[in-house]
Amino acid sequence: MKILAIDTSCDETAAAVTENTKILSNVIWSQASAHAKFGGVMPSLAQRMHEERIDWVIERAINNSQLTINNIDAIAVTVGPGLSIALGVGIDRAKKLAIKYNKKLIAVNHLEGHLFSCLVKANTENLKFPSLGLVVSGGNTILVKINKIGSYETLAQTTDDALGEALDKAARVLGLGYPGGAILEQLARGGNPKVYSLPIPIIGQEERKMFTYSGLKTAMGRLVKSEKPLTKEKIHNLAACYQDIAFTHLVRICSYIIRNSEVGFRNLLVGGGVSANIELRKRLRKLGKETGIKVLFPFTKKLTGDNAAMIGVAAHFKAQKDEFINPAKIDRNPSAKITD
Amino acid sequence: MQIIKTGKKTVDLAVDVLQQGGLVVYPTETLYGIGVDATNAEAVKKLTEYKERPFGKPFSVAVTDLKMALEFADLNSTAKNLYKEFLPGPMTIISKGKHKLAPGVESEEGTVGIRIPEYKLVIDIVKKFGKPITATSANASYKKRPYAIADILKNISIKQKSLIDLIIDAGELPHNEPSTVIDTTLDDPVTLRQGRIKLTGNNEVLSRSEEGTQNMAKELWQKYESHIGKRSIVFALQGEMGTGKTIFTKGLARAMGITELVTSPTFALENEYVTGREKLYHFDSWRLQKSDELKALGFGNLIKNKSVISIEWAERVSDAIREFDDEAIIIWVKIIFGKNENDRLISWRIEK
Repeated sequence: MKILAIDTSCDETAAAVTENTKILSNVIWSQASAHAKFGGVMPSLAQRMHEERIDWVIERAINNSQLTINNIDAIAVTVGPGLSIALGVGIDRAKKLAIKYNKKLIAVNHLEGHLFSCLVKANTENLKFPSLGLVVSGGNTILVKINKIGSYETLAQTTDDALGEALDKAARVLGLGYPGGAILEQLARGGNPKVYSLPIPIIGQEERKMFTYSGLKTAMGRLVKSEKPLTKEKIHNLAACYQDIAFTHLVRICSYIIRNSEVGFRNLLVGGGVSANIELRKRLRKLGKETGIKVLFPFTKKLTGDNAAMIGVAAHFKAQKDEFINPAKIDRNPSAKITD
Repeated sequence: MQIIKTGKKTVDLAVDVLQQGGLVVYPTETLYGIGVDATNAEAVKKLTEYKERPFGKPFSVAVTDLKMALEFADLNSTAKNLYKEFLPGPMTIISKGKHKLAPGVESEEGTVGIRIPEYKLVIDIVKKFGKPITATSANASYKKRPYAIADILKNISIKQKSLIDLIIDAGELPHNEPSTVIDTTLDDPVTLRQGRIKLTGNNEVLSRSEEGTQNMAKELWQKYESHIGKRSIVFALQGEMGTGKTIFTKGLARAMGITELVTSPTFALENEYVTGREKLYHFDSWRLQKSDELKALGFGNLIKNKSVISIEWAERVSDAIREFDDEAIIIWVKIIFGKNENDRLISWRIEK
């Protein structure tokens, strides 16, 4: 089935054409530079920019796929989670196109999209269940059990900040730019994580099965204050130490859950913007090796951040199950859960 | 469980129950309290179970006078001055305990909160009983303030009900604030809970933990929840990163009966929680620069609908929030780092 997918959940205006798990086109118009001067995504600006660009992005996606709208079988769109007013732009366009060209419409959960971004181009027949899914992004940090595609149970989630957000906030106290997580990663490479000591969140209490970054964030705030004035070297070391502890916490919790589960998990599907981080990938692969779980990442960085190709892949699985939605009934759900 | 009106036999009945290790709900000049023999370990355990709170969170006690207080606590000069100035009255004074009370009454650091109620019935009971009784409020943790017996019974489980032995019903009490709690064991006396009595001109309390910050949010919620349905209630939170603005909102949500997980709204800018008695809207305005940004998020409509709102980084959009001074009761809460790592000073004010 050929699907035109649209995602406007945050600050990327994205459209893609997919066929099953294959990408025919994947267009992302990033607004990041426009939001940079505000230190984060500004919702009303995002909405306005989505409005300005969405038609062009959709047209581009269709053209790049070498198809015309007539060859498309269905239209898929992200309904949440995401910024409410931003989601509205994509939903509105998808709805109009579905009605105008009489196409089937599929509502997709953004998190499910991130989970499946590593299945792009993959042979899904090799995918075995039960598996684990880990989404690490600016808005979400969640580990789920995947019973099968479409059936999820939350195993652990953040009680305060998402991992990407925690990295962004550390970048903020270090006076780095936006998006902070990516800059932090670069600086961390040139630093020594052992120079400083920051507390590993809930160490020794992994049985609480949660992610939490507020304590680490507070400790980092204090540490940075005490280290002022900051030199280049200090910033490198602080970035390295913070990133090290943030990832250590994430991996410790995942490890605890895997080792204490009666279920033998087959795969770990990882998605979300932070899954582009090379250090994090290294650590998750190591965890996979130790526990006999095959870890899957998106094959290109373009699929880690927000994109519409992943939405097309998620929609493909929904279409297989005949999960279409009436255009009159589709609505945004800014706080949608993957278990909904 | 027996419910009696106040009368001649009340004191005798209450003392009987206390002697047998039972739980007595009694009126005070602030809220309904719940008392057990503070020297009886079994009774205190039963009370902990009733309050549904973890063991180790201390209970304050009621005594008749300074003399009885001195049997159970070391009072320094600050404490003695406060006793002279404010007791009997709605103030709980924390001092170093003498470890003569049942486990769980003193804090883990060995301090104990003591109060002398300005309420004859309670004094008579304690006098006749001859030992301190616990003076915690009769509601379960994070439940409605108990000004009437119905407030208590409506909000507890059958199991909790079965733990109460005697209720002394004095009708609906005047809606006074709970007692002011002052800790005298530090260098300077600090307020841990602010009731009618204020030690300084400001409304400021010290929180020593995340739990303390959540508790403070609960106190503030209970102070202002009577505005529900009349005006929008806005908690405008100010404070640096890491001071605990989201923690505060977690406590607020808990006091509102919300069971969903409250997380930082930094990414989505607005979270909405629907599982409580009232909906709670949780904003982060770190990235908002102008009032129209707040409007784009539908802030004005929420105010019109008399919603309950918690807004982090409120200082960034304070002008926009102030526009709603008439339609909303705006509680400006400021959290700053204290001396010790986990200390936070929380102050609040209502602007007219």
